[in-house]
Amino acid sequence: MSHIAYRDEPFTLDVDYVVVGSGAGGATAANTLARGGAHVAIVEAGPWRDPEHYPHSAYGAMRDLFDDFGAGVAQGRALWPIVQASCVGGTTVINCAICVRTPEDIFDQWEREHGVAHGDFRHTIWGHQETLEKELCAELVPGPSAGRSSELAMQGAKAMGYDSHVMTRYAKGCVGSGQCLQGCRSLRKQSLNLQFIPEVLAKGGHVVSCAPVDRVLFQGRRATAVTGRFRHPQTRKKGGTFTVRARKAVIVAASVTHSAPILERSGVRNPALGTGFRAHPGTGIFGIYDDVIDMNVGATQGWASTEYRVEPGLKLETLSIPPEMVASRLSGVGHELMARLGEYRHMAMWVLAVRAESVGTVRNGFFNKPVIKYGFDRADMLRLRKGMGIIARTHFAAGAKRIVPGIYGLPYEITADQLSLIDEAPLDPRAYIAILSHLFGGCPMGKDPRRSVVDESGRVHGYEGLLVADASVIPTNLGVNPQHTIMALARTFTERLLDA
Amino acid sequence: MLTLYPRTAAFPGLADTGIDDFLVRFRRESGFLIWLGVLGGTLLFHLTPLLTVFVPLPAFALPAALREKHASRVLSSRIYLLRQAVFIVKMVAGLCWGADPAVRAKFGLPPMPADPGTWRQS
Repeated sequence: MSHIAYRDEPFTLDVDYVVVGSGAGGATAANTLARGGAHVAIVEAGPWRDPEHYPHSAYGAMRDLFDDFGAGVAQGRALWPIVQASCVGGTTVINCAICVRTPEDIFDQWEREHGVAHGDFRHTIWGHQETLEKELCAELVPGPSAGRSSELAMQGAKAMGYDSHVMTRYAKGCVGSGQCLQGCRSLRKQSLNLQFIPEVLAKGGHVVSCAPVDRVLFQGRRATAVTGRFRHPQTRKKGGTFTVRARKAVIVAASVTHSAPILERSGVRNPALGTGFRAHPGTGIFGIYDDVIDMNVGATQGWASTEYRVEPGLKLETLSIPPEMVASRLSGVGHELMARLGEYRHMAMWVLAVRAESVGTVRNGFFNKPVIKYGFDRADMLRLRKGMGIIARTHFAAGAKRIVPGIYGLPYEITADQLSLIDEAPLDPRAYIAILSHLFGGCPMGKDPRRSVVDESGRVHGYEGLLVADASVIPTNLGVNPQHTIMALARTFTERLLDA
Repeated sequence: MLTLYPRTAAFPGLADTGIDDFLVRFRRESGFLIWLGVLGGTLLFHLTPLLTVFVPLPAFALPAALREKHASRVLSSRIYLLRQAVFIVKMVAGLCWGADPAVRAKFGLPPMPADPGTWRQS
C-alpha cells in the first residue's frame, strides 16, 4: 500500500484503473474497483489531512480544506460563492454527511428527458444506497446532539403543519461538536478519507495527493493515463510532474467544477461538455429568540424538511455557523454591528436550498481555473423568495421574536407583523447573500451524444476507457442532498466496468 | 478594517485581536484572487467617501464617526460590485475577530487551539 504526497522529482505509476478525485464519487469508484480485485490509484488535487490535521477555525477550514480558499464564485447577475473541498475525501470532509435516497421522480425525469435510467436502474441505485447506509453507519442525529436550533425548527414546522424530520447522516453516534465544516475531529462523521480510501490502500491501491490533474492522455480514442504537476499544499509551489498510466480505464471524478474542464483541456470533443451546470442555491434567515440557543452547540445540521421539494422546489434545513462567519453575515458595521453580534447566542440560522431550474456552464479558464457562468432566472427567484417566507414563518411559529432576513433593501430585522416585506422582497439575485452548495452537471448523462457527455454507465461517448463518476454526470437537479446519489452512481458505473 | 469591528463595552475590537499578524499570515497563506479581492475592497473603501458621505477625502483621513458612517453606507451601496468588494474586507476581518479567544468567551465558546496546518506526507 502506498500514499505519495507532494514531491519535487518526477513520478510515474502503472495501475489497472486511475481515478481522478477522491470525493464521494472518486472514493466510491476506487473502493468498488479495489474490492473487485483491481489495482487502483486515486489522484487527488489536495493534500491528505487526517483528523489530527483538521483545522479548528473557519479560516483554517478555508485555507486547509476548501478549494482555492473558498474564493470560487459562479458568475451571473450575482456573484455567489461555490463551496467545495480540495483534500483527500473531497467535500465529504467538510459537508454534514446528509444521507437522502434518490427520489423516484428523478429517475422518471432522467428516463423521460435524457433517455437513461431505464429498467432496473433505479433499483440498482437504491440497492447500493441501502448497502452504503450500512457501510457508512447512516443514522438519525441522536436527540441530545441535534441542538436547540433543530429542536425549535421541528416545533416550528409542526406548528405550521408541514412535515419535517431529524436528519439521517453518515455519522456514527454524533456528539454534536458543531465542527462538520472543519472536519469532524470526533471521528463520528464517516467522511471518505476515513472510510473507503484506507480500504483502497489496504487492498494494494495507491493515493497520489497534492496532485492536480492537468489532462488525460490518449492513444487514439482510448484514455491511457493522467498527468500533471504536484502542488505544494502550503506554498502552492509547483513540484515534479506525475504520470499515472491506466491499463484498463481512467475514471474522472474531480467534481462538477473540475471534471468538465479537465476533459476540455484533454481535447475531448463533445458538444455537451461543460453544459447543464445546475445547483441548489441556498440562503438563510436568523431567528432571534428570548432563550439562549447557542446554535454552535449540537450538530452543524440536524433538522430538514422535504415537504416543499416538488412544489415549489425547496429543501429546508438548520445550519449552525460560527461567530467568525456570523460577523460578516449580519449587515451593518461599527458599533451597530457589535450590538447586533451581542445577540449571537440567541440566534438560530435556518436555511433553504432551491431546486433551481436555471442552467449554466462550466469551462476551463486561465491558469486552469474553472469558469462557471450561472444566471438565476425569475422562476427560481420566486422559489427562493417563497422559501424565505416559509422559513420566516417557521421561525415565528417556533417563538422567534424577530428575524434577520439579510435581504438587501429590507430592514435589518423584522417582526411577525412585517412578514409581507419578505413576500414582496426583490427578485434580483444581487439582493441576497447566497451560496451554491450542491452542484450538478458539466458532463451530463444521456443517451444522445449530441446532448450528453456520458452514457448511463458513465462512459464518455465516443471514447474508450474513459468514464466520469461524480456529480457532473447528474443531468437534473435532485432537490435533495446529492452525496448518496453520487456514491450510488459511482458504484453502479464501476461495477459495470468490472463486469465488462 | 478597524472601523468595521470597533471596541465596545461588550466586545473587544478588531484592533485587540491581533489583526496585523493575521493579515501578514493571510497574505502569505491565501490565494492570489482572494488577496486581490481584499486589496481591491480596501482601495475602494478608501476612495469612495465622496460618494457616501460627500467628503472629498480618503476614508483613512475621516474622523472615526464619519468613517463608520461611510463604512455603513458603502456596505449598503446600490452598486453591487462596490458593496461586494468591501464585503470581502468585512468577511476577512470577521474571520480574525470571531476566532479570538476573548470574543469566543463572550459567546460562551471555549478558545480554539491553533490550526495545525499539517497534512499526511507519506
